[in-house]
Formats: sequence, C-alpha cells, structure tokens
Amino acid sequence: MDIRENLSRIGEELEKELHDLDALQALENLKVRVLGKKGSLTALLRGMGQLSPEERPKAGQLINEAREKMTRLLEDKQKELAEREKEARLKKEAIDVTEPRDLPLIGCVHPMNLVLNQVLDCFTSMGFDVAEGPEVELDHYNFELLNIPKNHPARDAQDTFYIDDNTVLRTHTSPVQARTMLSRKPPIRIVCPGRVFRADEVDATHSPVFHQIEGLVIDKDVTMGDLKGTLDAFAKRLYGPDIEVRFRPSFFPFTEPSAEVDLTCFNCHGKGCRVCKGTGWIEVLGCGMVNPKVLSMCGIDPDVYSGFAFGIGLERITMLRYGIQDMRLLYEGDLRFLRQFR
Amino acid sequence: MKVSMNWLKKYADIPMTAEEYENRMIMTGTGVEGVEKLGSEFDHVVVGRVLSCRDHENSDHLHVCEVDVGGDAPLQIVCGAPNVKAGILVPVALPGAHLPGGVTIKKSKMRGVESEGMLCSSTELGVPVELYPSVGAAGLLIFNEDYPVGTDVKSIFFADDTVIDFEILANRPDCLCVWGVARETAAAMGTELRLPEITVQEAGGDIHDFARVEVRDAELCPRYAAKVVKNVRIAPSPLWLRQYLHAAGMRAINNVVDITNFIMLETGHPMHAFDLDKVRGRHIIVRRAEAGESLTTLDGKTYDLPQTALMICDEMGPTGLAGIMGGEESEITENTKTILFECAAFDRTSIRLTSRALGIRTESSGRFERGVAPATVMDALNRACQMVNELDAGDVVGGVIDEYPHPVSPVTLTVSCRRMARRAGVDIAPEEMVEILKKLQFVVTRDGDALTVTAPAFRQDIEQEADICEEVLRYAGYDRIPTTRLRGETTTGGLNDKAARQEALRRGLTGMGFYETMTFSFVSPKVIAMLGWPEEDKRSQPLMVRNPLGEDTACMRTTLLCGLFRTLETNIKNGNENGRIYEMGTVFDARNKTAEGLPTESPELAVGMYGAGADFYAVRGVAEALCRRAGVAYQLADCNEPYLHPGRRAALVSGGETLAVVGEVHPDAAERFDLTGRVYVAVIYLPALFRLSTPMGEVKPIARFPAVARDIALVMPEKTPVGPLMDAIRHGCGPLLEDIRMFDVFRGVQIGLGNKSVAFSLTFRAADHTLAEDEINRLTDKAVRTAERHSGAVLRS
Repeated sequence: MDIRENLSRIGEELEKELHDLDALQALENLKVRVLGKKGSLTALLRGMGQLSPEERPKAGQLINEAREKMTRLLEDKQKELAEREKEARLKKEAIDVTEPRDLPLIGCVHPMNLVLNQVLDCFTSMGFDVAEGPEVELDHYNFELLNIPKNHPARDAQDTFYIDDNTVLRTHTSPVQARTMLSRKPPIRIVCPGRVFRADEVDATHSPVFHQIEGLVIDKDVTMGDLKGTLDAFAKRLYGPDIEVRFRPSFFPFTEPSAEVDLTCFNCHGKGCRVCKGTGWIEVLGCGMVNPKVLSMCGIDPDVYSGFAFGIGLERITMLRYGIQDMRLLYEGDLRFLRQFR
Repeated sequence: MKVSMNWLKKYADIPMTAEEYENRMIMTGTGVEGVEKLGSEFDHVVVGRVLSCRDHENSDHLHVCEVDVGGDAPLQIVCGAPNVKAGILVPVALPGAHLPGGVTIKKSKMRGVESEGMLCSSTELGVPVELYPSVGAAGLLIFNEDYPVGTDVKSIFFADDTVIDFEILANRPDCLCVWGVARETAAAMGTELRLPEITVQEAGGDIHDFARVEVRDAELCPRYAAKVVKNVRIAPSPLWLRQYLHAAGMRAINNVVDITNFIMLETGHPMHAFDLDKVRGRHIIVRRAEAGESLTTLDGKTYDLPQTALMICDEMGPTGLAGIMGGEESEITENTKTILFECAAFDRTSIRLTSRALGIRTESSGRFERGVAPATVMDALNRACQMVNELDAGDVVGGVIDEYPHPVSPVTLTVSCRRMARRAGVDIAPEEMVEILKKLQFVVTRDGDALTVTAPAFRQDIEQEADICEEVLRYAGYDRIPTTRLRGETTTGGLNDKAARQEALRRGLTGMGFYETMTFSFVSPKVIAMLGWPEEDKRSQPLMVRNPLGEDTACMRTTLLCGLFRTLETNIKNGNENGRIYEMGTVFDARNKTAEGLPTESPELAVGMYGAGADFYAVRGVAEALCRRAGVAYQLADCNEPYLHPGRRAALVSGGETLAVVGEVHPDAAERFDLTGRVYVAVIYLPALFRLSTPMGEVKPIARFPAVARDIALVMPEKTPVGPLMDAIRHGCGPLLEDIRMFDVFRGVQIGLGNKSVAFSLTFRAADHTLAEDEINRLTDKAVRTAERHSGAVLRS
C-alpha cells in the first residue's frame, strides 16, 4: 500500500477519534496507539526498511511531517481537555457563599473612650499635653485653690462626697489645673480627662460618677479670643466645618470672665430640632479666662501671665454624638449596647 | 427666679418681641429657663350675668339659667351649684372652651334640657382662693366687681400676664428680684430704668418708744433695721398685689404679710413682720441659740435649735429663726395692732448651715444664702412703709432703728482699658467701656487708659479688674469675641506615658474581641467581702466614703472585680452569648498613703469571658498576650486567690512581682455573684506590667539557614505539669532549640492508666550553619533525656 494512503488513513482516524474524545486518559491511550512504540505511525516508520533507498528520504519526510501534525493535534486536544476538566472541577467546587458563619472576634473600646480619643487627638495635635491627677483629692486643690473658699455652697455635702474633713472625691477635673500650675512653668497647655464625683442619685441624665475633660492654657497675652479660637477648632474637628461656636456669659468661681459654650446643633445644623429643643444650639461646655486670684494662689503672676480653662462633660458629648437617651447604659456594660459601637 | 412681666414693665420698657428680649437677656448673662403665659390652662371662659334661674323639671338640685355673655341672645345653661341665683356675675365656659385637666365643654342635654356651656367654680378654673376670693369647690365663683359681660376672665385673674423664669447666676444675687432684673433689662434694652421714688408718710411718734433692738452677734448680723407701724388694719391685699404674688409662685395672705413678700420679690431683701405686742418686753435680741432652746415656726413645726443658729429673740426666748422663718408666737393675725418690720442682713454661711441643719428652705433663706447687700437695706424698709401708706394698712411710726456698726463702703477699683480689652480679645474703645459701666450704674471717671470705677451698692461681686472686664464684655457682646489662634512658644503635646500604655492595651483587647465596660468607682464593702480575701488583706480594707449615697456605694473599689462580676451577671442574665468584656480603671489603696496623705491610686485591668471559646487557657492566653505585647518576660506560678477555682487558677509572675492572676471563677464565688455557667477572669496589675515592660529594640535578621523539625511524644504521669517541663527542655537544649510547641495530649490504656502522652514539635536551627543529621539527633536525645531527668517522662515507643 502506498505510504501516502497509510498516512492519510492514520491521520483521518486520529482526527475522527480526537473529535469524539472527552477524557484525558482516553487521549493518552490514543497517543500511545498512534505515536507509541507499538503505534500505527511508529509501525509505518519501521516499515520504511522495505523501501528502496531512493524512496526512503521522501517517505521519511512525509512521515515526520505527519508526526509533527498529529503531535500538535494531540497537544491541542490535551490543552483543551485539561482546561475543560479544570472548569468542571471549579464548577463542582462551588459553595453557597451566602451560608452564614461565625465572624472573627473584634471588640471595641467604651463609647466614651471612642469620643475621648477624638477629643485628645484634637487637643494633642494643637500642642496640649495630657495630664492626670488623683480622683481622691485634697480639699485644698479641689476647692481652695480654685477660689471656692470654705463654706461656699458648692462644697455642700449634698454635692460633694467626703472622705474626711480635708479629703474629697474630686467634684471636677479642675484640681489638675491647680496641680499643674504649681508644678510647671508657663507656657502650659494641658488637657486632663478623668473621673469626677457628685452626690447625685442615678437617673437617665445624672450619675454620681461621671467624666470631664479639663483644658488649661497659661501663657503671656492669652485672650478670650484664643479661647474661642481653640474651642472653634475643637468643634469643627469633631463635628464638621459648618459647626459654629457661641459664647454666653456665665459664672464659675475659677474663671472671670466666664462663658457657657453652645455649638450649632449637629443633628439639625442649626435649624432647630428635638435634640436642641428647637434652639439650633447645644450647650456643651463651660469655660473662661482663669481668675487672676487662682493664678496668684497657684504661684503664677497674673500681671505677666493670663490663661483660659474649659471643662467638657464626656457623658454629655458621648450621648449627643450617638443619640443615647439614658446615661445608665454607659455604666451597665450590656453587650447588646456595646456591640453597636465600632 | 420667676418674674411677672407686668411687674417688670413698670420699671423698664421692653421695645422688642418676647423672643428678641429673651435672647438679648441670655446673651447678657441672664438665662431664661422657661416662659409661662398665665391662665393658659383654660380658654373661652367669659364673664356672664345670670338673668334668670329656675328649677330643672327632672332634677331636685339642678337649675336652668339664662345667662347673658354679651352675645345676641342669652345662653341656656344647666347648673348644679347651690349658690347660683339670678343677678350674679360668674365665669362662663362657652361651648368649645378648654378647662384645666383636659376638660372640653360642649353643648349637651342634661336630663332632657339643652345646656350651652358651664358656669364655673374657682376650682374648675384652677384659680386659688388666695388669688381671687370664692367658695372654692363648694359653688360658683361670683365676681364682686362689676365687669362687663363677655370679658375674658383670664384678663381679670391674670391681667394677661406672662411669667419668665430667669436663671440667675450664682455671683448675681442682686438679680434675685424684680428691680435687679429690671436693671439688667434696662441696660440690655438701652431703655430708661424707672425705679419708684420712695417716700414715707409718717404718722408721728418715735419708734424708740415702741421697741428696742439689740444685736449681740454683729458678725452674723451686720445690719438690723426696723420700722414700726401702729393702728394696723389687717385686710386682704388688692387684686393687683395678689396677682403679682401669684405670678411669682407665692400665696397672698393679708396686706401686712403680702407687703413683706412683695418687698422681697421687688427689692431682693427678705423682710419679716412681728406682732410687736407678742414680742415680750418689745425688745428684740439678735443672738445665737442657747443650749436647750427650741422654736415653733410659722408652719407649726417645732425645732430644737443648734447653738450655731442665729435667732431673733425677745426677752423670754426665740421668736424667729433669723433669715429663715418667723415664729408662730409673734405671727401676724387678724387681731394684730402694732407691727415691727424687720429688714436685715445676715451672714450667708450661718443661714445656709442652719437651714441645712434644720432642713428648712424658704424664699428668704435662699436669698440670704446667696448674699443680701447690707447697704441697700434701708431702701427696702422704706419701700415697705410706702406700701403701708399705699394700701392704708396702718400708721407708720416716726423714726427708724438701724443697727449697722460697720457700714460697708462701696468698692472702688482703678482698671486699665487696654488690659481689659486684651483679656477679652475684643477691641473695645474706652468710651464704650465707660458707657457700658455707667449703664450698669457704676460711677466712672476716666484718666486716659485708667478708669476709676465705683460699684453700685447692690453689687457684691465686684472685686477686681477681671470682674469689670466681664461687665464690659457682657454688654459689648460675647458675639464680638473673635476666634484667634494660640500664639507664643510651640508646645509638643501628646499623651502621657500611662495614657499611651493604657491605650495600647485597649487596642490589643479590641483585636482579641473584647468590649470595654465602665462601672462606678465605689462599691459596697459587703461585695468586696464576697471575694473571700482575709480581713488583713489590704483589699479588704477599702477607703470609706463619709457621706455615701447608700450602702452599695459606701467605699472606694480596691479591685475591679466587683464591677466586672456585676457586668458579667448583667450580660449572662440578659442572655448575651459569648461574653468577652474588660474594664480598665483606678483602684484605691487606703493603707498606703502618698506623701500628701492621699490613698494610692493604681490602674488595673480586669478581663472576663464566658461562652464559646472561653476556657482557662483562653483567659490565660489573653493575659499572656498582653504581657508579651508589653515586652515582659514572665513565668507561670501558683495562685491562691480565693474567688478562683483551686484547680484552675494561675499567676503570671516576673522577678517576684505578680503581673496577673487568671482562672475560672470558683463555684462559691459564682454563686455569691449570681453567675451561671463557667466564667473565666483575669486581673492584670498594671503598675507592675508598666514598670517591667521593655521598649522594642532593633529587629533581628531573618535566619539564613534552614530549620529542622522533629516530633517527639513523651509519656508521663497525668499530674506532671507540662509548662515547667517545656521550660526544662528549652533550658536543656539551649539556643539551638528555636521553638517547642505542644500539639497533642493522648490518654489511653496503651500507655497505662494515670499517664498521658504529650506530643511536642521541636524546631532546631543554628544561626551560622545548616544543622547536620547527627547534630539534630543529638539535640533530640538531649530533649528526651532532659524530660526524663526533669519529670520522669519517657519517650513513647
């Protein structure tokens, strides 16, 4: 039989078989049957010995060409089948991605610390140090040095928890001011976060334990404008650039002049709503220029230095920030409440 | 401080809307806490005349009346009041009227007869008898005066008045009166202040023939002034006066008593009127109470007097609590003929302490506590006498008694305009400052930058330049304060060390799935006792609060565990699954005092967990992870905290210091704290952790030579602790043992009962060469031999 015929027959058979093939193993078998040691093409190659020397080169060339073509066909088919099998595996491995699973645990700091951290970030970036003082405090620092002399109504046992005649649970963070002024030289820029105590029964808006953040700046030529500028920066940083600061006259024994500070209601942006009781303003803190008497008592010359102080109620700004209606939630530790924070 | 607008407007004009006025007052320092339109509890009630009145055919007590209310035709109204009759003028609630208590009047049929409204009693309108005389609930209110029919009765009872509740700052007791608010109002409005000119018509005689006053304690009573009124004619006060008192929240009683209350509300000077005939010896003695004295006050209550209390006495004993309340004995009655008006100044602290001690708070004591100016006493006293003239309540006797040994001189300060403007941060011209101060009744002279300022007599809060600066700024306007940036030397700023370390711990705990909680700093000593520490343990000896709110907040916490257990209990009770919580806060050590004599305050961290994934090893892991994070090397050691399970508790120690205790809560403690299920806690002592923590140094290079792992299983008695065994192997193998991990524990008959087989994975690595096979074998053998020597463990075959 003519070698050409043989080659084209083998080629046709291969193509036909390849066409019907759908498994890698079958492809491997086919490859062996054609190109293997006992394969049909290999047999043809062996049969070349019977040809005349003139015919051989021509036949050899033909067979090699056919072999190359068949090898290419087999490889293409193999690639195709491998791809198809991978697709099938991926399809088979598909899972229900909507099935629920337990999440990795991640907790959260207390909501008041979420807010406190923002406040501290703001003030430390303006050059304020964080200072702390004792929670059980001497009367001297808590009252005397802050221009609240003996028998001042603010010292009433109704408001103040006493340990003994000279020791109280601090009623505000202001004693840290006094301690700082006595121990450091101006310029002073500090914020003092901490726990304070007043003899209030627990209800939705009162707690015998609560938190304040005190601020104090002492330097030459500090003005009430600097105070307003500092609090304006604080308000805008915490609540957004459209928040305005309003000062109202007020009274505190340790500042003069004193002011109560309102911020544009961050719920309604000043239009008036339930949160601000329709006024467009929310009262958030008290402040003022440090009373020269306090400076003198704390060893700072009021003719050379002036300063301002402010006190922020942390519970209040936390409750406002998150719309918390009842202060007790902050101290109960119920995870149904705490797990809402992030 | 409730102020009637009608009263206020007598003395100062308010040429703007109510809202503008309130806002202006707020911005000049007089806060507004509330506004009440009087009589707003009812509407559509008018004066009507009963034209006719006949019996109801179907009732033995109802009447059918024709009532003229000024409309086209009279109304037919059915009325059950016993005092209804033709001819009387009464309040008529028209159909659609609202009455106090949510009542709405409608046309209706009463026992078959049409009724077009209701005739009202004072009770139905909420008008107290002391405001307008009537029989109260027993019948109709009948007008005594001849009002036109159809008149809105609100205008009769309340004169269309509005009451503003002003918030007076603590340093401004001079504003606790109509005159004070009028002064601020006139200054704020820029209108004229029209306080009345005070003139008294005296009927002759000399007060010294009627009474004698002796102040024995001038320190507590710096001024005592008195006038006497004879031929007193006790009667009800006129309606306008009753309305003023009602608007201020006070009850009208009779003309003499009403005058004293009127003067207090108008001038801020509390007054008292004594029935002089009941003052024994007509001799008033102001002194402290003596041992064993008691007094029955106007309200009929009897008090044993503390010896610190300042008393108004007569020759026989106390007849009034100075500045707080008068005595029953010398009370004004219908039969009073001669009175002595007292207007005095008392020491703030003394009044406050007595008022607290006896538990009596009155309008009078409240004002004295905050400070009444001695200098203006005489104005108030004369104004009272003027009112006696006006109301024809008696004849004012000539002369005055005025015990005022040390007259208070007005405060004069010299201040600098430039300094004040700089303090305020507002560019206020000296001329404007002068104008503002004059408006506030300061006497001012200017010499260039210097102002010499004399404060008005009623102001007691002016002491220094800063006070003047505030006055100026209040009226220049707080709105004018600019927002300026801090200048001067730059400061670095930042968290202090403790706050930074605590924040790092919080971040770690957040990452481990814990939520932070906060509880009160005070607890009950009984709850501390529930933790089971011996009495001599310092944590069992808390710092006691002298005046706690109650037993459960009686002492300062010596541990965070009380709060932690309580929070755990709340969460378990509320069915919150898989609790992981912590609290970081201060604990108080009463035994170790600071140099200042204060208790030592230390930060502490308490961690609690229950539910899925919670066990001893998990909670120990939390404490260990935090120690590692802080760079503290620690060992596990025994722990004998009584609130922890004796077989499931441990301490983390370092160099003899306890860093933490961890464990499962002892079932006894769990029962005492109401904790159900197994709960695990850790207490981390932060002072020790912070002290021993080390800063992170340079990083080590990553090893260049390969590591080799070998697994071994060692059989040992069940009781052998694995931790120390691993420490021994580490020590025995030296630095070439990079890591040892336990990965399995097997128990079974194959290895003998009472034994366990513990599998370890050993990782060996040398920094400078690849370990050869024989080196690895030698190291592995060493590990096995060390384990054998250390705790008799043998290689599992």
